[in-house]
Amino acid sequence: MDANNAFDSDLIHAIFKHIWARRFRERERSDAIDATDAEVALGTSKKNRLASANSNALKLSCELLKSFVSEAVQRAAIIAEAEGIDKIEASHLERILPQLLLDF
Amino acid sequence: MGPEVPIELVEEDGFDWEAAVREIDLACLKSLNPSSSSSSNKDNVTKPAKRQSTLDRFIARPDHYPPPPDPPVFSDPNFDNDNSPCVGIDPETAKTWIYPVNVPLRDYQFAITKTALFSNTLVALPTGLGKTLIAAVVMYNYFRWFPQGKIVFAAPSRPLVMQQIEACHNIVGIPQEWTIDLTGQTCPSKRASLWKSKRVFFVTPQVLEKDIQSGTCLTNCLVCLVIDEAHRALGNYSYCVVVRELMAVPVQLRILALTATPGSKTQAIQGIIDNLQISTLEYRNESDHDVCPYVHDRKVELIQVPLGKDADEVSKRLLDVIRPYAVRLKNFGVLLNRDYQTLSPHELLMARDKFREAPVPGIPHISHGDVESCFAALITLYHIRKLLSSHGIRPAYEMLEEKLHEGPFARLMSKNEDIRMTKLLMQQRLSNGAPSPKLSKMLEILVDHYKIKDPRTSRVIIFSNFRGSVRDIMDALSSIRDVVKATEFIGQSSGKTLKGQSQKVQQAVLEKFRSGGFNVIVATSIGEEGLDIMEVDLVICFDANVSPLRMIQRMGRTGRKNNGRVVVLACEGSEKNSYMRKQANGQAIKKHMRNGGMNSFNFHPSPRMIPHVYKPEVQHVKFSIEQFIPRGKKLQDEPATETPAFKKKLTPEEMDMLAKYFKPGEEKWRVSLIAFPHFQTLPSKVHKVMHSRQTSILIDAMQHLQETTLTEQSKKFSIKYGTPLAERDELDTGLRVGDDPKDFPSFNDLDVNTSQRKAKQVVESPTSTLETTENDFEASSPRHCYLFSSECASVDTLGKVFVLPVPLSFSSNVPGPDYVGREKILSSPNKFHMDVVPIDSSSKHRQDNVSCKLKEGLLPDCANETLESQSLLKRHSTDVGKGDIENCAGEIMISSDEDDEDLELSPRLTNFIKSGVVPDSPVYDQGVANEANIEDHLNRPPTRLSNELAEEPSTPEKKIHITCTASEFRTPEKEKDLANGTECFAVSPMPEEWRTPLANITNASSSASKDWRLSSGEKSETLRQPRKLKRLRRLGDCSSAVKENNPGIAKTDHVRSRSLGERNIRGKKKIRADNNARIFIDAEAEVSSESEMSVDEKEDLTGDSVEDSFIDDGTMPTANTQAECAKVDMMAVYRRSLLSQSPLPTRFRDVAAASSPSPYSSGLLKTINESRSDSDKSLSSLRTPQTTNNESNKEDTMAATGDFSVAQISTDSRKRKFSLCNSANVPVINLENKFEAHAQATEKESHEGLRSNVGASQYKEEDDDDDDDDAFYATLDFDAMEAQATLLLSKQRSETKTKEDAPVKPHMGNQRTDDGPSFDLGLW
Repeated sequence: MDANNAFDSDLIHAIFKHIWARRFRERERSDAIDATDAEVALGTSKKNRLASANSNALKLSCELLKSFVSEAVQRAAIIAEAEGIDKIEASHLERILPQLLLDF
Repeated sequence: MGPEVPIELVEEDGFDWEAAVREIDLACLKSLNPSSSSSSNKDNVTKPAKRQSTLDRFIARPDHYPPPPDPPVFSDPNFDNDNSPCVGIDPETAKTWIYPVNVPLRDYQFAITKTALFSNTLVALPTGLGKTLIAAVVMYNYFRWFPQGKIVFAAPSRPLVMQQIEACHNIVGIPQEWTIDLTGQTCPSKRASLWKSKRVFFVTPQVLEKDIQSGTCLTNCLVCLVIDEAHRALGNYSYCVVVRELMAVPVQLRILALTATPGSKTQAIQGIIDNLQISTLEYRNESDHDVCPYVHDRKVELIQVPLGKDADEVSKRLLDVIRPYAVRLKNFGVLLNRDYQTLSPHELLMARDKFREAPVPGIPHISHGDVESCFAALITLYHIRKLLSSHGIRPAYEMLEEKLHEGPFARLMSKNEDIRMTKLLMQQRLSNGAPSPKLSKMLEILVDHYKIKDPRTSRVIIFSNFRGSVRDIMDALSSIRDVVKATEFIGQSSGKTLKGQSQKVQQAVLEKFRSGGFNVIVATSIGEEGLDIMEVDLVICFDANVSPLRMIQRMGRTGRKNNGRVVVLACEGSEKNSYMRKQANGQAIKKHMRNGGMNSFNFHPSPRMIPHVYKPEVQHVKFSIEQFIPRGKKLQDEPATETPAFKKKLTPEEMDMLAKYFKPGEEKWRVSLIAFPHFQTLPSKVHKVMHSRQTSILIDAMQHLQETTLTEQSKKFSIKYGTPLAERDELDTGLRVGDDPKDFPSFNDLDVNTSQRKAKQVVESPTSTLETTENDFEASSPRHCYLFSSECASVDTLGKVFVLPVPLSFSSNVPGPDYVGREKILSSPNKFHMDVVPIDSSSKHRQDNVSCKLKEGLLPDCANETLESQSLLKRHSTDVGKGDIENCAGEIMISSDEDDEDLELSPRLTNFIKSGVVPDSPVYDQGVANEANIEDHLNRPPTRLSNELAEEPSTPEKKIHITCTASEFRTPEKEKDLANGTECFAVSPMPEEWRTPLANITNASSSASKDWRLSSGEKSETLRQPRKLKRLRRLGDCSSAVKENNPGIAKTDHVRSRSLGERNIRGKKKIRADNNARIFIDAEAEVSSESEMSVDEKEDLTGDSVEDSFIDDGTMPTANTQAECAKVDMMAVYRRSLLSQSPLPTRFRDVAAASSPSPYSSGLLKTINESRSDSDKSLSSLRTPQTTNNESNKEDTMAATGDFSVAQISTDSRKRKFSLCNSANVPVINLENKFEAHAQATEKESHEGLRSNVGASQYKEEDDDDDDDDAFYATLDFDAMEAQATLLLSKQRSETKTKEDAPVKPHMGNQRTDDGPSFDLGLW
C-alpha cells in the first residue's frame, strides 16, 4: 500500500525483462524451426521486438504482485497455523496454490 | 623524373593531393639527406615508373606514400588522420604473405591472389571457381599486415553475407572475435560500436554506404575492401557510392572486386573499372588452360518448346488488340515501319524514349498524349505477350487482369472488345487447365533426371524470371511429389497475389536445400547469384529471355562439384531468337577481357599498400580452423550471462535462497499444484482476496472427483465440514454474492431472494420454495447444487434456504436417522425430537456426506454410510439436534441456532462453507419443518399416515404398474399430473404436485403449473435447464404412460390421482386429513413461503430438477417426514432391488401397518421416489410421490442406477434430495414418533431391515456410481450423462418393471417390505 511496502519496480522490471528475453529467445528458436519445417512462416517485425512496459504498468504490476504474494503468504500462514506450525513450508503453499492461482 | 612527377601529380590529383604533397616533402628530405632509407629511395626510384605502373601492374608500384612506420611529422592533420594511426603495418608479418594449403592449390587462384594483394583488382572468374578463396586470402593477409587495419567484405545481400562470412572463416580462419557481419538488421548505434571494436566486417553495400556517410565507419582505418558481385557496381549502386566516398576522403586501401560476369558490354565493364578504381583485371574463363582442369563439364542444352495451341490462339488475339495501336503509332511516324508481330517491349520503350526526346515534327502537340497512351498500351500488351510465350497463359492472364484494373491501360482498354474477348479466351483456357508445354517439358526433364540421379543427393534449381510462374511450377511439381521435394525461393517483397519470403525463411530454405530437405527449389532471380550449393547438378531455366549475365549466373549454380547440366527452355519464336542473340553478345565480350583487357579498358592507379621495403614472400600455411559459430548463437548466450542488476542488492543469504530454489538449469523444487487434492475440495481461507468463480468451479469439480473417496473415507469429515460449510455459507454467501452476483453460487442471496420471492408468491407450496432454493444452489454449480440441494432444504428453511438443508439432512439421515430416529423414537419420543434435531444437524453434515453417499448409492449407500455417518451425525446432530429441538420449539430461531452450531461444528470445512449455507438452511428447515411437521404430525400425521398407508399401497402398485407400463418412472406422477393437467408434466408436473400438496390437489395442478412456469423461468437462467427440459419431456412422455396408469391411481386416491407424487404425499396428507394437510400446507407454506421460493427455484432447476425435486420432496417430506425417512430407506432398497417399488410399498405398508407412521413412511417413500424421480426427473418424482413413491422408487432405482452411472451429480442430487426428504421426514417422524412411536418403531425396524439389504446393494451401487461418476466428471458432459442416464434408467426400468411387477403384487400388502428386501438381495 504505502511506498515502503511496495515492490521495487526496478526489480519487477528486471524480472519482466528477464522473462521477456527468455520467451523471445524461445520464440526465435521455434521460429527457426518453423521456418525450416514450413517455409511458409514469415517473420513479423513486431514479433521480433522485446516487450516493454511503461512506468504505470510497472507500478500496477508491482501492486498486483504484491497483493498476490501477500495473499499467498497469508493463506499459507493460515494453513500453517492450523497445523500448529509457525513456519510456512512449501507444502503449505502448495495447498493453497491452486485456488490462489484461480483467484488471481 | 622531373617531367614525370607532374604527371604523377596530375594523375593522383583526383584522389590524393596530400599524398603528392607528402612525396614532395619526402623528396626534399631525401635531397637533404641523401643517405636516407632505402625505402625512400625506392619511393623516389619507383616514382618514375608510376605512370607506367598503371599499365604494368606487376612491376613494383611506386609508393606514393611513405610507409606508415616512418611517417614524417607533417603538420597537416588530415594527413595524420588519413594514414598514420590505423594503418600501421606490422614489419614482421609484412615479410611474408600467407597462402593456405588446406585446399588443393590452384594456380590461377594463386596467381590472382598474388596480383590482388598489391593492386586493385577486378577478378572475373567463372562461377564456382573459388573467387571467395582469393578474397579470403587477401583479407587474411591484410588482416595480418595491418594490426589495426579494418577489412570490409561487401556482398549484395544478407544471405550472401552470411554465406561469405562462413566461407571466409573456413578458408583462412580469421578469429571470429574480430569478425562481424553488419547488415540492415543491426541497429546503427550498435554498428558504430562494432566498427570500433571489430576488424573484419562482412557487410551489405547499403550498410557500408550509410555508415561511411554517417561517419560511424572508421574510414581512415580501412585497408582492404572486397566487393563481391562487382558487376553491380554501376550507376549509383551503393558500391559506387562507397568507393567514391572513400576516394574522396581520401583513404588508401586495397580494393578487390569479384564477379563472374563483369558485363555483357564493354562499356559496362569499363564502368565497373571506373567506379571501383580498378587497376587490374584478372579474367579467366572456362577454356583457359589453368582453369579448365577445375571446371566441371557443364552441358548447356537449349530445348525448344512449341508455344502450344492455346497460347498461340491467345497470342493471335493479343495481336489483334495490338494491331490498331501499332498502326496508329506508325501513322504518327513514331514507330518505324516494322512488322508489329516482332516488336518487343524493349523496342517500344526505346521508341518512346526517342519520341520523348525528339518528337517527330508534324505531330500536333495535342496528339502527344495520344501517342503516349498508345505506347503505354502497347508496352503492356507486348509484355503480356512475352509473358504468354515464356511463361504460359496464367501469368499473362494475371498480368492482364491486374492491368485492367488500374491506370491508363484500364482506361484505354476498358471498352476494347478485343481485349475482353482475349481475356475471356484466356480464362476459358485456364479453366480447362491448359497445361503449358513448358511445364510438361520441365516435368519430363525432371523425371528423367531423377531416373538417373539419386533424388537424395541430386539437387535441381529451376529458375523463372517471373514470380507468378514460380507458383505454376510449384503446382506442376506437386504432381511428381514422390521424387521431387520442391520449395520456392523468392524475394521478400510481397505482391498482391503472392507473399514474399522473409530472409529468415530464405535462409531456412537454403539450409534445407543443402541438407536435403528439399531437392528442388524454384527460384526467381534471387537465386541466381552466389548460391554456393555444390550438389546442384541440374539447372532448368524456365525462361530463356534473360540477359546473358544472368544466364551465366544461373548456369553457375551448377557444375560446382560434379558435372552439371543446364537446360534452357525456350519457346519457339521470339524467345528463342532473343536468347540466341544474347548468347552471341556474351561471347563477344569475352574477347575484350582476354589478356586482362589491357587493350580494351582504361585502368586506374592504385596504391600498393605494402611499402616496397617489404617484399612479402609467399608462405604456404596449413590453417587449423576453428569450427565456425554462427553469430546468432553467440548472441543467444550473451543475455544469459548477464547478471541482473537486482542481484547486486541481495544479501548472500538471499542469494543462497535464490540459488536453492532457482538454480539455473535444474529445478530443485517445483511447486506442485496437485500435491494436496483434498484441500482443493474446500475453499481455503482467504486473507484479502476472495475466491473467484473459477475457484468455486474447481472446488466443485474436486468435490465431485473425490466424493467417492470422501464418502468412504470421511463421513466424519463431511460431518465436520458440513457444519463449517454452514457457517461459511452464511459468510461466504455474502461474499460470494458480492463477488459473483452473476453466479448462482451466491447461494444465500439467490436462494434467499428466490426463495423469499417464491415464498411470497407461492406461500402455498413450501416444498416448492425449498426446491427453489435448491434450484438456486444447483444453478450456481452442480456440485454446490448437490450440496445445496441437500442443503437447499436448509436454505429454504432458513430463508427458505434453511428449509432445504433440513430435508436433506433428514433424507440423508433418513437411513441412519430412521434407525437412530426410530430407535430413539422408540426409546423415547422426547429423544425423537432431539434425534430429529440432531438428525437435522447431522442431516446437514450428512447431507454433505450423505450427499456424496446419496449420490453414489442414494439411499442404499446412504443407508449404510448414513448409518455410520448418521450415527456420527446423530451425535453431532444430537448436539445440534438439541439445539434443533429447541429450535423446533423455537421454530426458525432454533433452526438458526442449529445452523450456528453446525457452523461451529465444521470450522475446518472451509469448502463446505457453501454447503454450510445449506446446513444453515437445514437448521431453519428443520426448525420450520419440524414445526410444520410437528404441527402436521400432531394434527394430521395419524390421519395422513393412515391415509397415506391406505393410499400408498394402492398407489405403489399402480405406480409400479405405471412405471412398468411407462418407460419412464414418472408416468405415475404423470398420471397424477395428467389428472391435474398434462401440461404440468413438462414443466409443471413438479409444481403441480408441489402445489397440489401445498394447495389442494385440485388447486395444486394450476398452481403447480404456475410455479413450474416460474421455476422454469428461473431454471432457464440456470445452466441445467436443458436437463430440465429433457426431464420434463421425459416426464411428459411418462405422463402419457402414466396417464394410463394414472386413472387407476387417480381412482384410488382422488388427491393422489391428481398429483400422485407430491399430491400423494401432500394429497395423502391433505386427503387423509384435509385439516392436517392444510396444516401441513400451512406449515409448509410458512416454512416454504420461503421454501416455496426455494422450491420454485428448485423446480426451476429441474434441469437440476433432481435436486430440486429432492428438495421439493424434502419439503413435502417435512410433512411426511417419517414417510420420507422410510422412503429414503425404501429408496435405497428400491434402487438396490429392482423391486424398489415393492420396498417402498412394503415400507409404506409397514408404515400403514404402523398406522400413523405408515403414512409417513409412504410419504417418505414418496419423497424418496420423488427424490429419485427428481434425480431422473424431479418433476415426475415430485408428482408421483405417493403413487410414484413406488414408481419413483422403481424409477429412482432405475434412474438412480442410471443416474449414478450417468452422473454423480444426479446421484448426488438424489442423495441430497433423499437426505432432504429424510430430513423432512425425520421431523415428521419425530412428530409422529411423539404421536406414534410404535408405528415408527415398526417402520424403523422394517426400514432397518430394508436398509440393511439396501445398504449392501447401495454399496455396490455406490461403487458403480462412483466409477460412473468419475467417468462423468471426466467428461463433464451433463447432457451426455443425462442421455446415458436415461438409457440406463430405461434399461433399469424395464428390468425393474419386470422384476417389480412380480414383487409389487406381493408388496401390495405389508409383505412388500419383506419382499422388497428379499428381492433386493436377490437382485443385488
